[in-house]
Amino acid sequence: MRDYIIRRVLGMIPLILIVMIVSFGIFSLVPNPFAALIENPRIKKADIQRLIKAWGFDLPWYLRFFKWFSGVIRGDWGPSLLYPGSTARDVISRALPVTVRLMGIEFLVSIAIALPIGIISAVKQYSVTDYVVTVISFLGMSMPTFWFGLLMMMLFSVVLKRPSGMPLLPAGGIITPGLEEAPFWAKLGDRAQYLVMPVVVLAFSSLGGYARYMRSSMLEVIRQDYIRTARAKGVPERSVIYKHALRNAMIPIVTLIALSVPGIVGGAAITETIFSIPGMGSLFIAANVKADYPTAMISLMLTSILVIVFNLVADIVYAWVDPRIKYS
Amino acid sequence: MAEKAIEAKKKGQKKSSEDYTYAGMVFHRLTRHKLAMVGAFMLIFILLFVFVGPLIWRADPNTQIEGLGGLFNPASRAHPLGTDDYGRDVLARMFFGGRISLFIGFISAISSTLVGALVGLVAGYYGGWADNILMRFTDAMLSIPTFPLLIALASVLGKGVWQIILVIVVFGWMVDARLVRGLVLSLKEQEYVEAARAIGASANRIMWRHLFPNTLAVLIVSTTIGIGGAIIYEASISFLGFGVQAPFASWGNMLQNAQQFIWNSPRLIIYPGLAIFMTVLGFNFFGDGLRDAIDPKLKL
Amino acid sequence: MDNREVLVDIKNLRTFFYTEDGVVLAVDGIDLTIHRGEVVGLVGESGCGKSVTALSILRLIPNPPGKIIGGEIFFHGEDLLKKNEEAMRLIRGDKISMIFQEPMTSLNPVYTIGDQISEAITLHQKIDSAEAKKRTIEMIHLVGIPEPERRFGQYPHEMSGGMRQRVMIAMALSSNPDLLISDEATTALDVTIQAQILDLMRGLQKKLGMAILIITHNLAVVAEMAETIAIAYAGKIVENSTAKEIFKSPRHPYTYGLLASIPKFTEKRTNEPLPAIEGMVPSPYHMPKGCRFNPRCPFATEKCREEEPEILELTPGHLVRCFHPIES
Repeated sequence: MRDYIIRRVLGMIPLILIVMIVSFGIFSLVPNPFAALIENPRIKKADIQRLIKAWGFDLPWYLRFFKWFSGVIRGDWGPSLLYPGSTARDVISRALPVTVRLMGIEFLVSIAIALPIGIISAVKQYSVTDYVVTVISFLGMSMPTFWFGLLMMMLFSVVLKRPSGMPLLPAGGIITPGLEEAPFWAKLGDRAQYLVMPVVVLAFSSLGGYARYMRSSMLEVIRQDYIRTARAKGVPERSVIYKHALRNAMIPIVTLIALSVPGIVGGAAITETIFSIPGMGSLFIAANVKADYPTAMISLMLTSILVIVFNLVADIVYAWVDPRIKYS
Repeated sequence: MAEKAIEAKKKGQKKSSEDYTYAGMVFHRLTRHKLAMVGAFMLIFILLFVFVGPLIWRADPNTQIEGLGGLFNPASRAHPLGTDDYGRDVLARMFFGGRISLFIGFISAISSTLVGALVGLVAGYYGGWADNILMRFTDAMLSIPTFPLLIALASVLGKGVWQIILVIVVFGWMVDARLVRGLVLSLKEQEYVEAARAIGASANRIMWRHLFPNTLAVLIVSTTIGIGGAIIYEASISFLGFGVQAPFASWGNMLQNAQQFIWNSPRLIIYPGLAIFMTVLGFNFFGDGLRDAIDPKLKL
Repeated sequence: MDNREVLVDIKNLRTFFYTEDGVVLAVDGIDLTIHRGEVVGLVGESGCGKSVTALSILRLIPNPPGKIIGGEIFFHGEDLLKKNEEAMRLIRGDKISMIFQEPMTSLNPVYTIGDQISEAITLHQKIDSAEAKKRTIEMIHLVGIPEPERRFGQYPHEMSGGMRQRVMIAMALSSNPDLLISDEATTALDVTIQAQILDLMRGLQKKLGMAILIITHNLAVVAEMAETIAIAYAGKIVENSTAKEIFKSPRHPYTYGLLASIPKFTEKRTNEPLPAIEGMVPSPYHMPKGCRFNPRCPFATEKCREEEPEILELTPGHLVRCFHPIES
């Protein structure tokens, strides 16, 4: 097992390299990344020259790549063009917790709903419950999130109002201005109202996928011979489902969960943008729109590396959970 | 067997599974699948709407009405779905926007499936280092989250229909590649491949004549569901401003436009979004039913 | 005549499957009697309804699409078909046990075999887990697996097919049932292992005294093991007698055909092809009119094509369902 992990970690290195090259490569397709800055009269030409030099744009692309590469490894992720004066690293460190909070909650809500309904759907295949769950799953998977987000905003912020005249749920942001220093519980309550809509929007689209996956995994397991054996032994039906079947059905689900973790960090770009949530997703979009390529590159690269790492985590978890897997 | 079928017909009995051809069986199962039929109806409706609609309701999607009075009109006889912020007829824009969205969705899905199938076939059939390299590359590409990548590429390549298609294809082929490779690996071991090789069939011939047709079923399902995904990608990219550009309409950029007017003209948001939703839902329902019909036991 | 107490008495069992393509008359009027300690063989080709009969006894028929629609199954005088699910559950694995065809897939891969056998014990006997473990190890030893303590903690995938089947037998016999149903338990094993398992079953039968219902398509297996043999065809029993009688003087044309198709050492070698029964088993959706065997029967007459024969006791203890049974 240890050897397997070592081999896999070594195998990750070329992947990470490719990812870094691709991230870098995409944004290198832009001929002059500093065009926007040059337009800005407040920025001195000398500063721009300094940036060009610092970023290696006076060098041919392969040298530039190495310069960037060594910088990234050392922790120097370059300046932020969106927020001149801050480094890309600062900006990203501010956006990251926001996204993790949002996506983390969304993920938990999603799983907490999706897995049980997936199980019930499988156990009662072809029943009304199953059809309803299937239809809801499809609705969630087919719904464009930004549309759903806008609809919710229309309903809860425009149409429905509180007695005070304020929207029932705030249309954007993450915290009521002025409450940044409030005590924990007050802050929690306040934060919650900002999270309701984005969480609902995101959870609705993702739970469909999880529910179907759980359902199909469960269906696959319930058909197996060893379930028939369990019943023939006299195991009560509830144990058949929750002890014998579920334990097997969860194996691929656990892998799926491990693979979903990078999404928690990558964020949901459009939803964040609609609800004005300053997280990684909206940062990435803003960086692209405003041509802040250093930030965009790093952001892309980070998420990709997380995906690679969690692929490995998923494999390890899988081996841990399924006694049949032996990695020599 | 044939006599039994004739006997059965004479006695008025139902045909049983032994009496159909393979394609016939797939069709038979498909038509019985409730959700698939719902999906099919939705798609037929949308296709009619988008292609036949303009023949019935002739209005130009880009004509702007002069004067403020023409903006944001609610539904009226002149404009069944009202007008938008530029005074353009919403219904007409829905027709033409739909055409573009569907076109992009369709072409990108088919192209990425074909590219993916090619990669998967080669990797699966040849194995060895070709397989290794191709799969490493596929894995690396898969690691990069698609959506940010789409935006990144869109912003870099510029805006427009063909750019979107290219972007979707470049980052969508991987799923099919993996799928096909897995399938080829298992099919390769079957005896008819060995037999073909024994009579001297070339690698090319084996790949295209024997292996590929057997992956078609899986690919068709993948494409159908892929169209839904591609439409959402297009809509998302256009929504962010990178895709189809004004004055051309696509359902995505109509939504983007409408965003600012959420307060006073919500129907501008409802129509294009609903259209996207129904289309994608239709493809998903149908694709899922297709998958069940092709092999009820297949778990893709 | 058998002096032993009647253990299981199946009367006119009918189990149908309602599928999209039509109704499958899997078991259409089967009568079978099993006495205490008797070894009964149920023989027939694939699809003749033998497995469905076994599953019907334990009421393990998947519903949908299957349903036991008629008949009675008396066990110790009580009709099993009238019992509720909880009562059946207590019987399964305790008074009537079943082992299945595929040892490779019939055990739960994520639990140790020790756990699975212990579960069978603790489900039906009020003993604590330490005692159950002791009993389990005894059972593992009883079925001929060496190093039982070590095997207790092993997973199914660490064992061969033959050994897994022994584990199944251990599980099935752990509560000393009155009846063991063996549904093609040796079919998936290679011949030498098959012989070992049959030996084991014979030995255990002598030791523990349970009745065995051996379901198989292999006449050699029943020749070794069974006292009484029932031949099934297309959902009905067509012949039923002692093993000796069946092999010495088969009366039903189907039985005769089956026996004739077995290559024998003792017959003189001719250059004729091995006799085989013409035709194929009828499709379950299109049963022929009249006697179900008539399309393939060399002795079929007009009567056979029109009416279905009843099962009659031609000589004491020898039942045949045929209008023109073969002379003994």
